[in-house]
Amino acid sequence: MTAIKNYIASFFDWHKTIPANGLAFFRICFGVLMTFSTIRFMSYGWVNDFYVAPEFHFSYYGFDWLPYPSEMAIYAMFYGMLACAILITLGLFYRFASIGFFILFTYIELLDKTTYLNHYYFVSLVALLLIFLPANRYFSLDVRLGLVRESETVKAWHTGILKFQMAIVYIFAGIAKLESDWLFEAQPLKYWLHTAHHWPIVGDLFTQDWVAYLFSWAGCIYDLFIVFFLLNAKTRNFAYGFVILFHFLTWMLFPIGVFPWVMMVGTLIFLSDNLHKRALDVLRNILAFIPFPNFKSERKNINPQSGFRIANVLLASYISFQILFPFRYLLYPGDLFWTEEGFRFSWRVMLMEKAGHGYFYLHDPETGIEWEVPTCNHLTYMQEKQMSHQPDMILQYASYLEETYQDTTISTGHVDLKFKNPEIRAEVFVTLNGRPSQLFIDKKHNLAALENNLSHRYWLEPYNK
Amino acid sequence: MKKLLFVLLAPLALIGCKKDKKEDFDRGAMLNNMASAVIIPSINSMNQALINLDGSADEFIANPNATNLTTLQSTFIGTYKNFERCKMYDFGPMMDNGVKAAMNTYPVDTAKIEDNVESGSYTLGSLSNTDAIGLPAMDYLLYFEGSGSILDRFTTDALAENRKTYLGDLTEKMKTEFAPVLTAWNATYKSEFIAADGTDVGSSTGIMFNEFVKDVELLKNAKVGIPAGQFSGGEPLPEMTEAHFSKQSKVLALENVTALLNCFKGGEGIGFDDYIIDVQGEDADPSLSNNIIAQFGTIQTKINALGNDFNADVLTNFSGFTEAFQEIKKLVTYTKTDMASTLGLQITFSDSDGD
Repeated sequence: MTAIKNYIASFFDWHKTIPANGLAFFRICFGVLMTFSTIRFMSYGWVNDFYVAPEFHFSYYGFDWLPYPSEMAIYAMFYGMLACAILITLGLFYRFASIGFFILFTYIELLDKTTYLNHYYFVSLVALLLIFLPANRYFSLDVRLGLVRESETVKAWHTGILKFQMAIVYIFAGIAKLESDWLFEAQPLKYWLHTAHHWPIVGDLFTQDWVAYLFSWAGCIYDLFIVFFLLNAKTRNFAYGFVILFHFLTWMLFPIGVFPWVMMVGTLIFLSDNLHKRALDVLRNILAFIPFPNFKSERKNINPQSGFRIANVLLASYISFQILFPFRYLLYPGDLFWTEEGFRFSWRVMLMEKAGHGYFYLHDPETGIEWEVPTCNHLTYMQEKQMSHQPDMILQYASYLEETYQDTTISTGHVDLKFKNPEIRAEVFVTLNGRPSQLFIDKKHNLAALENNLSHRYWLEPYNK
Repeated sequence: MKKLLFVLLAPLALIGCKKDKKEDFDRGAMLNNMASAVIIPSINSMNQALINLDGSADEFIANPNATNLTTLQSTFIGTYKNFERCKMYDFGPMMDNGVKAAMNTYPVDTAKIEDNVESGSYTLGSLSNTDAIGLPAMDYLLYFEGSGSILDRFTTDALAENRKTYLGDLTEKMKTEFAPVLTAWNATYKSEFIAADGTDVGSSTGIMFNEFVKDVELLKNAKVGIPAGQFSGGEPLPEMTEAHFSKQSKVLALENVTALLNCFKGGEGIGFDDYIIDVQGEDADPSLSNNIIAQFGTIQTKINALGNDFNADVLTNFSGFTEAFQEIKKLVTYTKTDMASTLGLQITFSDSDGD
């Protein structure tokens, strides 16, 4: 009993000191991952496709005041991000680099919600945390150059908060899977796994229903419990093997880019100090061949008593926010997948298959004359795809159309249609998790007159399961 | 730990045993069937039609008489029908050779055609001549009833020689530009097409699906919606009909619908319909595949109910065209939502990450 008590007590003693290996190791891994994912993003031409080419951008609620950078500035921001990621890896000018990375990365993310991904949100959060963590106090160029004093210890919360963040991702992803489509229909996996039917040998398996059920349940159980096995010293290594297997499989099966790598790298923080130390030793031996001056100043370990109060307050606020925010969907009536009220920033990862198609019309309220606006005239394919099933984006697009088509004449053949102050109406159909498409938004609403806010979207048609 | 896992997984075994389905669908086989039995035959027959068309045109140019004109006109209609059967395969060689836009951009600019004929100097491939070439330009030359007969304009008219030359240049251009499409399909593209059997962006299934959807949208807008006034506040635009001068819009629209259905079903072999059934399960209710096939049927019925001459019918039969338009719209919705979702295909041309 006392052993357990002691364990729990030590677990919650976030100000005790622990070896600095884990945090330094995490900093390097995170830096390397960000370096490569930034290079990958740029080399795919996505900077242009996602941020330069579109004529309209779907801003986040509350962030529409952010100035949209010029093409030059966007590219400059990406290069800046890359430089910061490299500096974080090296632990050079760390404070500056971590702040820079957080601001640039988050700024870019906030430009267009079309590209919203949970793991981008995760990266933003980790970048924010890193600003406050002394990840450059050990095994860094800042130490080597005497810019900061080396510390062989950090506080438990310095890595604890990162573990907490990982736990939030996993456990909320698991909770999100506790719903009937996922568990009892094996949807959307039943459809998604089919795309891998051409794999050699195991391809046929992916088209079997029982495999879809197995993956659904195993995925849910994995998400809910993996953190606990990672926290337990006895099961830790075994659990990490599972992490690799799980994410490698999802990487092979689904077009989810770097997400599996983010998780595989993120969970490294759970490994033992011994492993972190050995990893750093290997690096140290390799780097020993590079001649580099040593201006290390006298070592000064972190004082466990310092910043006690403020850290506690900040940590408590951050942790509460992280735990409560994903539950905000409970404040809304209706089906979460249908309305997507409180869907983002809640770790609902790979959870539903939703596709929509909308017909948008300019509508003259006086004459009743209508004109169908070709969506491809204003949005990229990617934007259209995302917009077509997300209510807030539909409203934003409608409001953009209203603005664009003030006092416009549209000529088709010999007919000129004049729109002075058009209403924007839309007929939108959506299919969710394999159910036949149904009406999502009725043409009776003037979407341009609806306010895009956080209140319940009563104007959506009801969802018939 | 092991016990726990067993307890948790036991119900899975029960669910798993309930329904095992036989697996014989294969995307590679579907692509093979599409290429061999649907796409290449339709491209082959278009190629043959263009050779015949060019031959008939040469004959007419050499001997511009009534018989040769009739022959040329009927070869022309046959070619136009062939075009409707292959235009949804606008990827790979067809896209590389840019034949789709060069063959059927309408309405044509008749003044531009007359200018070209009169001056006798033109570059048919130039961007500005896009609406003065191809099948719609021939449609105008072979069917326009102005003052004087069609035949007169190729015989007694002061510009008869120029007009004959222009006609010959049009068929020659189409024939030469289309030939490499067939050659490429037969040479290397067929195997490339079958080999790209994933579902990612750039996969053959994805590309073919995208073009299929685009062509359904063209049917909705260009063939029916625009002439019927759906984009002009209800005012019909007879000048916007396809094959405006030969008045073949209805025939061509029906030809296109049949070809799209054929594309969906993979002819007699494996097609999108089988793929959908495979993903949804044989006993899915409602069956998306059946719904789509039924929707094609409804569209055929609605178009069949329209008058043969769209130019006249759009003026008097607004409700008939609106019904046809609405039914095609339903098919667009089916393809862009249900079908895309079921097959896990991306309607997009740039890759991206998901999560």
